[in-house]
Amino acid sequence: MPVTKVLTDGIGEVDLRDLAVYRARGGYRQWERAVRELQPADVLAAAETSGLRGRGGAGFPTGRKWSFLPTDKHVRYLVCNCDEAEPGTFKDHMLLEEAPHLVLEGILLGAYGIACHHAFIYIRGEFKRGYEIFVRALEEARQAGLVGSNVFGSGFDIEVTAHRGAGAYICGEETGLLNSLEGKRGEPRLKPPFPAIEGLYGAPTVVNNVETLAYLVPILEKGANWFASVGTERSKGYKIVSVSGHVQKPGNYEIALGTTVREIIEIAGGLRPGRRLMAVQPGGGSSACIFEEHLDLPYDYESMAKAGSMLGSGAFVVFDDTTDFVAAAYNMVRFFAHESCGQCTPCREGGHWIETVLARLVRGEGIEGDDAMMLRVAGTITGLNLCALGDSIEPFLKSVLVRFPDAFKARIPSAAPASAVAS
Amino acid sequence: MADNAVNVTLTIDGVPVTVPKGTLLVEAAKTVKQEIPVYCYHPKLGPAGLCRVCLVDIEGMPKLQIACNTPAADGMVVHTRNDKVDAGRAMILELLLVNHPLDCPICDKGGECDLQDYAMAYGRGSSDLVDPKTRKPKGVDLGPTIVLDEERCVVCQRCVRFDDIIADERQLVLKDRGVRDIIATSTGDPYRHNFTGNVTELCPVGALTSKTYRFKSRPWDLQRTQTTCTQCAVGCQMFSDVRYGVPLRTMSVEHDAISDGWLCDRGRYNIGFYDSAERIVQPLYRRNGTFVQIGWDDAFTLWGKALREALRARGPEAVGAIGGGRLTNEEAYLLQHLTRAVGSANLDWRAGLARQATPGAKGGTLAALDRAQAIVTIGEPLRERAPVLWLRILKAVRRGARLIAAATPAEAAAQCAGLAPIALVWDGVDPALGAAYDGAFAGFAEVATFIASEQGNARGAEAMGMLPAFGPGYAAVAPGRGTRAMLEDARAGRLRVLSILGANPAAYAPNAAAEALDALEFTVVSELFMTETAARATLVLPARGPLEKSGTTLNLTGDLLPLHASLQAPEGTLADLEMLIGLAQQLDVELPSAEDLERAVIAHAAKLPTGFGLGDARFDDGPSVAPPPHVHRTIFDGAGTAAHDPRLTSLRALEVGV
Amino acid sequence: MRKRLYNVGAILKGLSITFGFMFRKRPTIEYPSVKKQHAPRFHGLHELRRYGDGKERCIGCELCSSACPANAITVIGAENAPDDRKSPGERHAARYEIDELRCIFCGMCEEACPTDAIVLTPRFEMADYRRGSFIYAKDRLLVPPDAGVGEAPDERPGGIPGDLGRVAEIKSTTDVARGFSATHRGEILKTQRRGLAG
Repeated sequence: MPVTKVLTDGIGEVDLRDLAVYRARGGYRQWERAVRELQPADVLAAAETSGLRGRGGAGFPTGRKWSFLPTDKHVRYLVCNCDEAEPGTFKDHMLLEEAPHLVLEGILLGAYGIACHHAFIYIRGEFKRGYEIFVRALEEARQAGLVGSNVFGSGFDIEVTAHRGAGAYICGEETGLLNSLEGKRGEPRLKPPFPAIEGLYGAPTVVNNVETLAYLVPILEKGANWFASVGTERSKGYKIVSVSGHVQKPGNYEIALGTTVREIIEIAGGLRPGRRLMAVQPGGGSSACIFEEHLDLPYDYESMAKAGSMLGSGAFVVFDDTTDFVAAAYNMVRFFAHESCGQCTPCREGGHWIETVLARLVRGEGIEGDDAMMLRVAGTITGLNLCALGDSIEPFLKSVLVRFPDAFKARIPSAAPASAVAS
Repeated sequence: MADNAVNVTLTIDGVPVTVPKGTLLVEAAKTVKQEIPVYCYHPKLGPAGLCRVCLVDIEGMPKLQIACNTPAADGMVVHTRNDKVDAGRAMILELLLVNHPLDCPICDKGGECDLQDYAMAYGRGSSDLVDPKTRKPKGVDLGPTIVLDEERCVVCQRCVRFDDIIADERQLVLKDRGVRDIIATSTGDPYRHNFTGNVTELCPVGALTSKTYRFKSRPWDLQRTQTTCTQCAVGCQMFSDVRYGVPLRTMSVEHDAISDGWLCDRGRYNIGFYDSAERIVQPLYRRNGTFVQIGWDDAFTLWGKALREALRARGPEAVGAIGGGRLTNEEAYLLQHLTRAVGSANLDWRAGLARQATPGAKGGTLAALDRAQAIVTIGEPLRERAPVLWLRILKAVRRGARLIAAATPAEAAAQCAGLAPIALVWDGVDPALGAAYDGAFAGFAEVATFIASEQGNARGAEAMGMLPAFGPGYAAVAPGRGTRAMLEDARAGRLRVLSILGANPAAYAPNAAAEALDALEFTVVSELFMTETAARATLVLPARGPLEKSGTTLNLTGDLLPLHASLQAPEGTLADLEMLIGLAQQLDVELPSAEDLERAVIAHAAKLPTGFGLGDARFDDGPSVAPPPHVHRTIFDGAGTAAHDPRLTSLRALEVGV
Repeated sequence: MRKRLYNVGAILKGLSITFGFMFRKRPTIEYPSVKKQHAPRFHGLHELRRYGDGKERCIGCELCSSACPANAITVIGAENAPDDRKSPGERHAARYEIDELRCIFCGMCEEACPTDAIVLTPRFEMADYRRGSFIYAKDRLLVPPDAGVGEAPDERPGGIPGDLGRVAEIKSTTDVARGFSATHRGEILKTQRRGLAG
């Protein structure tokens, strides 16, 4: 299957940051149609029928998420999660900087879908440029009467607030994001209560990814069935995949779900000549690796889960045979240990411990039993944590440790045979 | 299953349990005596889900669940111990110890530490750790009372949550992130408020320790006695922990009805004066302007002779007694019994600004305060005057009660319109103000009144009859002279002999009282230290402090609370009770037997005073005076016994220095 | 005649035992001019040891006193003053007293000590005329400042011996680790061990 252009349509060709250009290409027409002709329930129905699932990582069906909101509470919030910090992911970044009006329209449609009057977008601290672009776009839209009170004379009021974070990975976790948005320490909350019941400022809140909300625009434009017709049985529609690593043309590629892993690598220009594929991390830093034998699997939520990994946020990292997997594992675990908020014991202490051991291995000072100890600790803490961050330590580490044990063994001084020293 | 709406039935370790809906598993397990280890969870702070040690296995759930945030549900099958749970717990404990310094031998918590206990009960016993542990600051001076060891911290955030939820101070926060996170004050200023000591008890490990107790002892060396705190009128229950005759620390008792398990810093830390070198340990008699040490026999003879002579020469109006608010009920009862037995009605417990301690007909219980929809505070700030009562009010405010501190009674009444029940908390100082509030709230249906008096057993002294207008059990009697009138009489030469037991009137009205005391023929003062009043006495009797004697006190809601002696008093001192017995022998007054005394105290303490309300005219004996500037209200202010506490001196220096 | 000769033989045989002892090593010694060499692990008088830098090993943890079955040990801890540090870490023993009359020389204190501070030496002569002089305080228990051996753990200001646990691990009175030479007694043990091993 080839590269498709749905959200990415026009990016790199015209300046979508310009409101006039965006509107000339049909922008904000769905927003106008929604507030003028549709009921919020229609938008929700479209989201449900389309089979759209959260593009931020967990893959939770968007329509179902919206339906959890209690119907008797009328103060509710939509929060767009643009704290994109998963290692290997850079799709929201692109959408924010290249198509801010698309993102805004998605937020507006989402807000209309849950009938809320105040939406927030939480932008990662490092995205200073993206934040500025978005704020400019928001201001333009407000001038044009697309945001504010009584939009298009429909009587619907909507306010959008952009908030820039301070650069913590954990603020991408929805409750951590809400805490940060409220001005508190950015750390996940104890669940239950879930945000749909008690979220931002204690009100029912929906937190959706940028890409998820943006897909609402084409879904409303071309119909939910058009979206549902693409993809596999339970993974519908399109997805922007951020391909990086040992490929010739890394970048964001929009594909239909169900495209095979091999095809995605091809789309990104394939491996460098003469190199052999060792592993692919299909869903960002928190996902386990898949290997050669999985190349012909369709890239969708179910197949990735069946292969022991996950689709996650669509960060597609390719490793060829030049990779030092000990260093890669260290890099990944160091990231999670560094980004741990420090609230709960397993993540705080376990992540740091494994990081320390891996650092020693990278220095070539491993000792017998390090690998078993890491597997034991990482394996046991998975599932014991307050949020998903602590559970993210194990998958990548375990997949490479099980697949390439010799690379780790080679870092134990006495046990290292001369021939087995890692490349 | 009939009352499905309110109760749920589940199985914990094979035992069926029925608990109210919404009960957390950790609490439900307690009902079948299954201990689930916890660090971050605390019944009064609620779940936080941080330590992850309270893992349980619930059938039908793939992952282990935390018992502290899982409500019990009908039909749930819970295992608190099985291989899966044990493996999870063992891992959590191993991780908690990864960066723990394991300096248990020098840790103040060693021996009563949850981390030690649970590591022994659920831990692996060994660790695979070979790498160096992270290093964090040790011995961090957090404020005047608390030292923090960051390395021992398990980041349960109980202290942070106590500061936020219970004390409403929000000084402590978690700083930095990940494995580097530390507890600190949000501003970097010293950690200082009226309840800081509680965090040392909440801390499940030895991270937060009290400066006064640091490295003084190990827990197993301490002799523990439960007693009542007498620093204010709340009557918090506390443990007094003593080693080699020195009170090293006090700990709160989980007593929800009175203190809710908290102690204020004044009650907790003001215990170092017992072994002060400044204590009076022998009776002192003023001869030619200077004090000379005399024996107890001589002291009783002199006291008795002075009283007998005054009675013979001038009649019963020439003698009087002040005291009771800092004595036990038994002592207060004997003091009024003795004074009335010789025909005098000149008695009063009031030596300071307070005029009234018993709220009268509408006097409320602490449970009533918990139910109140509106709480009106009148007069002095309660945070200083009755700190633990203030925590209880904050708890009511969290529940949704309105806290009202209005300018006038009418305004307060207007703000309370439509709310019931209502609690009025008055400081007992200005009777006119008390009466005005009483009047303003007369029309309200459910009003509970409280008086937060400045003396610990003020209400007990009133119940025992240490008032000019009321006898024991608030029986109306022919009024005698109160403190103010007695001091005026003394100045005018009408009063000749005054016995002051555990009171310091000269601290409140220095000039007037000094003049009056100087004009007296014979003044007897029983005290622990040479106070302003004792310095002007003819005879100073060395008394015993509240930890050194047994008896009962009455707190502000009329609960009869026991004092149990935990300390051996210094040789040469006597309890006021023994002094009064010695005096009775001199005066040939028959005293009730110990059993009769106990019966009388219980009977009078149980009487409900119905004949008066707030600010009754009979409590009003003259205008209030403004307190002199040194009579301050903070905890380390140097007033009273705190001035003689060498351990508090260093804390006070910090307090003043900042 | 035969009978008489037989008797002489018996007498000679008896006397040979008597005279034989004249050439054997004497089991008695001329105490106090000659002193018996006790086994190196003989449980005699206590001593409190120091580290090589002169700091006291005792951290005032009171584990010895709680392990003591005879209640003979009294320890009162105190905080180390930053400018006059008596021991590594935050805590030291302000008072350390052993009532040697109560002591049953079982060595439990030695077992309990996490820093190898209190040990029983082979010294056994404690006779005195007054009971009070059997209460040994730090002045008599502590070895001289220059007699300390071993490296003090972690000397961070305000810190504690970071590897207290590690010290406990290598400390064992029944099986002294290789190269362990904390005090004179440790030296003795080590020499003895070498002698036994040949």
